[in-house]
Amino acid sequence: MGFTHLNLASAYSAHYGVNRPEQLAAAASALGFEALAVTDRDGLYGAVKHIAACIREGIHPIVGVNLEITDMGRVVILAHGHTSGSGWSVICRAISLAHNSRGKERRPRLGLDELAAMIRENPSCSVLIGPQSGIASKVLVSPASARKELDSWLSAIPQPGVLAIEVVNQLSEPGSIASEEHARAMLRLADSAGVPAVITNAARYLEPDDALTADVLDSARHLEQLGLFAMQPNAQAWMKPAAMMFRLALDVCEDTKRAQKLIQKTEQLASRCVLDPESDCGFGRPKTPEQQALGIEGNPFEVLWQKAHSAVNERYPDAKAPQLAEIQHRLSKELIAINELGFATYFLTVADVAQMIRDMRIRSAARGSGAGSLVNYLLGISGVDPVSEGLLFERFLSTERSTLPDIDIDVESARRHEIYKNIFRRYGGKRVTLLSMQSTYRSRGAVRDSGMALGIDDDEIDQIAKNIWRFSARNFRGAMEKKPELARFSSDTKTNDRLNLLVDITERLDRLPRHISVHPCGVILGNSSLLSLTPTEPSGIGLPMSQFDKDDMDPMGFLKLDVLGVRMQSAMAYTIREIARVKKKKVDLDAVDREDKSVFEQIRTTNTLGIFQIESPGQRELTGKHQPTRFNDLTLQISLFRPGPMKGNMIKPYLDGRHGLITPDYLHPDLRPILEESYGVVVFHEQLMRIMQKMTGCSLAQADEMRRKLGKESKAASVSTYFHKAAAARGYQKQLIDKVWSIIEGFGSFGFCKAHGAAFALPTYHSAWLKTHYPTEFIAGLLTHDPGMYPRRLLIAEARRLGVRILPIDVNHSTNEYLVEKTRSGYGVRMALTEIVGISNREIERIICEQPFRDIADFYIRARPARRTLERLALIGALDSLAGISGEEAQHSRGDLLVHIRQLTAKRPAVNDANQLSFELGSLDTLPQGNPSPSRQERLDQELKYTGMDISAHQIERFQEMLDDLGVVRASELVGLRSNTEVLVAGVRVATQTPPMRSGKRVVFISLDDGTGCADATFFDEAQRRCSSLLFQNRLLLISGKTRRTGVRGVSVLAENAWDLRQLWLEWEKKAS
Amino acid sequence: MQIETLSGVVVDLDGAPVCFIWRGREYLVASRPVRWYSRRIWWEESSAAPKGAGPLMEVEMWRLWATSENSRNLFELRHLQPADSWEIYPLES
Repeated sequence: MGFTHLNLASAYSAHYGVNRPEQLAAAASALGFEALAVTDRDGLYGAVKHIAACIREGIHPIVGVNLEITDMGRVVILAHGHTSGSGWSVICRAISLAHNSRGKERRPRLGLDELAAMIRENPSCSVLIGPQSGIASKVLVSPASARKELDSWLSAIPQPGVLAIEVVNQLSEPGSIASEEHARAMLRLADSAGVPAVITNAARYLEPDDALTADVLDSARHLEQLGLFAMQPNAQAWMKPAAMMFRLALDVCEDTKRAQKLIQKTEQLASRCVLDPESDCGFGRPKTPEQQALGIEGNPFEVLWQKAHSAVNERYPDAKAPQLAEIQHRLSKELIAINELGFATYFLTVADVAQMIRDMRIRSAARGSGAGSLVNYLLGISGVDPVSEGLLFERFLSTERSTLPDIDIDVESARRHEIYKNIFRRYGGKRVTLLSMQSTYRSRGAVRDSGMALGIDDDEIDQIAKNIWRFSARNFRGAMEKKPELARFSSDTKTNDRLNLLVDITERLDRLPRHISVHPCGVILGNSSLLSLTPTEPSGIGLPMSQFDKDDMDPMGFLKLDVLGVRMQSAMAYTIREIARVKKKKVDLDAVDREDKSVFEQIRTTNTLGIFQIESPGQRELTGKHQPTRFNDLTLQISLFRPGPMKGNMIKPYLDGRHGLITPDYLHPDLRPILEESYGVVVFHEQLMRIMQKMTGCSLAQADEMRRKLGKESKAASVSTYFHKAAAARGYQKQLIDKVWSIIEGFGSFGFCKAHGAAFALPTYHSAWLKTHYPTEFIAGLLTHDPGMYPRRLLIAEARRLGVRILPIDVNHSTNEYLVEKTRSGYGVRMALTEIVGISNREIERIICEQPFRDIADFYIRARPARRTLERLALIGALDSLAGISGEEAQHSRGDLLVHIRQLTAKRPAVNDANQLSFELGSLDTLPQGNPSPSRQERLDQELKYTGMDISAHQIERFQEMLDDLGVVRASELVGLRSNTEVLVAGVRVATQTPPMRSGKRVVFISLDDGTGCADATFFDEAQRRCSSLLFQNRLLLISGKTRRTGVRGVSVLAENAWDLRQLWLEWEKKAS
Repeated sequence: MQIETLSGVVVDLDGAPVCFIWRGREYLVASRPVRWYSRRIWWEESSAAPKGAGPLMEVEMWRLWATSENSRNLFELRHLQPADSWEIYPLES
């Protein structure tokens, strides 16, 4: 006789289960189990992964859910299998109902009547009443009331074969729940009521050792330190082997026959619940909206054919006959493949969504390999011409694979939710849900929760968490021995047991799911049975969210559409709106010249701040070396600046080839056309595919299949054999074949899909174009939508450098956006009210609504700012013009204004008597005189304090005297220095990066802004040790080092040491006085 | 309460106590002993908890009736590992 665990929580029972479904299924198969259930708490979060893992392991999947029934405790509901999906459907719908009807407590649960009603309609599930039920808590202390509660279950759910009592013996203290005695009482109750009993171990981990991890997860769930909540009684809730389960059954029953029957009933139920993934859960069957939901009639493929062909003239108006023939040929090839895969409806769906977005007048752009498809270009899904950019359809979709391809659409982030809501409206709530995302423990979160469990002081944990950079919690102990910033912590653990434990339990938490949230961009589009296939729960944005994540989409055959909010798209849309509003010009970015010389000139200066994809310090340095001159260069640059090519040392030969320092090696004349664009370096997946095609004669689709195999060691060998044989058969020399193969082999993880690069390059070019031709409006767009990686204050510095006027916050002119404003001395960008620390949205709305104001009192009465807000507005100068203290002939100072405001707010009467208020204020509306005005430095400090930005001047200026004295070089002067010059640079930290390096060692890049531009400094090992405490913490830095020329416009500083600028200033002042 | 340790505990193949000596008298186990597991305050008692560290968390307990020449008592026996030592707590008689 076998045994099957029917109650098992996976790690996707967040803060409860310990092991991932893959681990559970593998262990089950190793223990000889033929079937295994996963019954996560409150949902099917781990169910799809469980089913997939079971298929891989060759065992039968069973799925259920652990759900709370109002006033009846928690029970496990198992779906019956081989029911054409009705078992799966009933638990999906029960879960959705439990989540969507949850009250203020935000605790998912279901009323017994609700569950009973669902089961009446569809009795394809079993309910296990076990140790977490209300009955379990009563059965020993008051058997009669336990029986009464079971009777209410039975009268609500009288269908035979649905209810079962779950007997659990976890060897806890005699008399407590899940003790042997308790299990016996549950069994007795079942027998006396004639309800079948089954035995489980209510397991939540694989082995006893995992119980420690479970303790810490319990602590995180209770938000309490270990020992301060009701903890699990022992470490018995593990996935015990069959023999041990038999023994436990025997101990409970004290009778061999009864024990056998218990196991037998368990097995009967298990076999009833074994799922057929395909017919029960729709595994592997693509699902798309029905034709009528898309508004199409007839054969979808014919509709697609029609749509694509009719767009050829529009997309290629100037194409000559030979090019048209090429386009037609390619189109036919793509359409045939799409038809063969049965994906016509899928493409029509995506096209329909893309059209809907355009109709909403929202900027969008396709991202990813989808840009390689001509059909996508013709349907308006993508804006990149795959023919002219040399992108391949086969990289995107191939008949060798049958999974639905990913098409990602980038849209304005600010309007993303509008799009979601429209998708729901258009296709109906029964066909659409949002995608979810499981956040997992990363090192910082793991350290925090472990610290809380151990009761370590918050500040101490903060300090440790702050120094954790870029390593997985799994390697905490290894990392802390290597990293200089963790050196102190490491030595502390040797004497402090708590800290030492902290390291171990942090490692245990690594990668465990923490909580579910809305995926930032995924929408699932299905047919009208979608809600029978996935449970949903409410999301923060008011639309239902599936409990499945992106990895579950493929197995479930769900069409996932990624609608990504890209802030740069919002910033560009805003820029275009401002140009239209202020300059009355209509800009159509999609129609601008893509070979505009002035745009590339602007990029080549390396002042790329605000330009999509190429503004990071590393990209800026590469821009200096690369000096792009055309659109394809941007595609190349974006594709090259990634860990793979950097690790593979591909950038240098490319640059050397480009600048004529070496003669590109094309290996063979046949390969020259393929490799010419990248000077002999294989950069793109598309190039690799073409090389394979050229040398072996395989199809591009086969080439892409082989490319995918290269990543897996076990499969790469077969590709090698094929490549050598086929290339030799086509007459290539062995030497050449070996050489090309070594490149292909090493290429594996390095290459990039050119379609991705080209899709990215488009917004890169668009943003560069706007920055070149409309810098003022573009800066306003950047400031409003903050799309980049840098703090806003750096954008202000960049504006200053570009000569774009920044107009200070002014309550009569500022709004919640950065508006372009025409002043007497030209256009400028008016700072927004939103930057003021502590100002509320309400206050901002009132100010905008009531503008303009006559004077301070008028502002005070109508805008009703909080006292704190009013003071801050005054301190940063937002009331200057209103108070008449900004002009040359002003009689009063900001000091006077501040005194005035303090008087005003102090006199504010407690009751709301508007008449009296205005009277008193009116009488007070004269500014006092003679109060000192704050100094320039004080003003700047207030701006920084209350807006986070240095608006009136750059904050480095205050140190200027010292910097000149020390001979500090300005960032803009670096480019004129020779390589290896000893320099000092200073500024405000704007970026810190620790990218992985080829050698495996860590490098820290720090960028400083000094108002003239950015100086990028590189810290290697020794320098890191020298200034470890400064590296990640101080904001104002002075760095010493040597210049390192990296290209025509590329200079960085090889750092030797760093100092805290403020500290230096204090010492310098002391010396000076 | 003072902790009393036991000597001369004899166990069967399952590890269940069969007889022991308490306060100078020999006791024979007179019921089916019930094995259960209690837990430790590992976060206070241990200085490390790496994965696979072994049984940091549990203590094996036995609840049983035992008789001597002239008394019958309910006991809790606590079996400590790795020392393999026993503690005894009389519950009722």
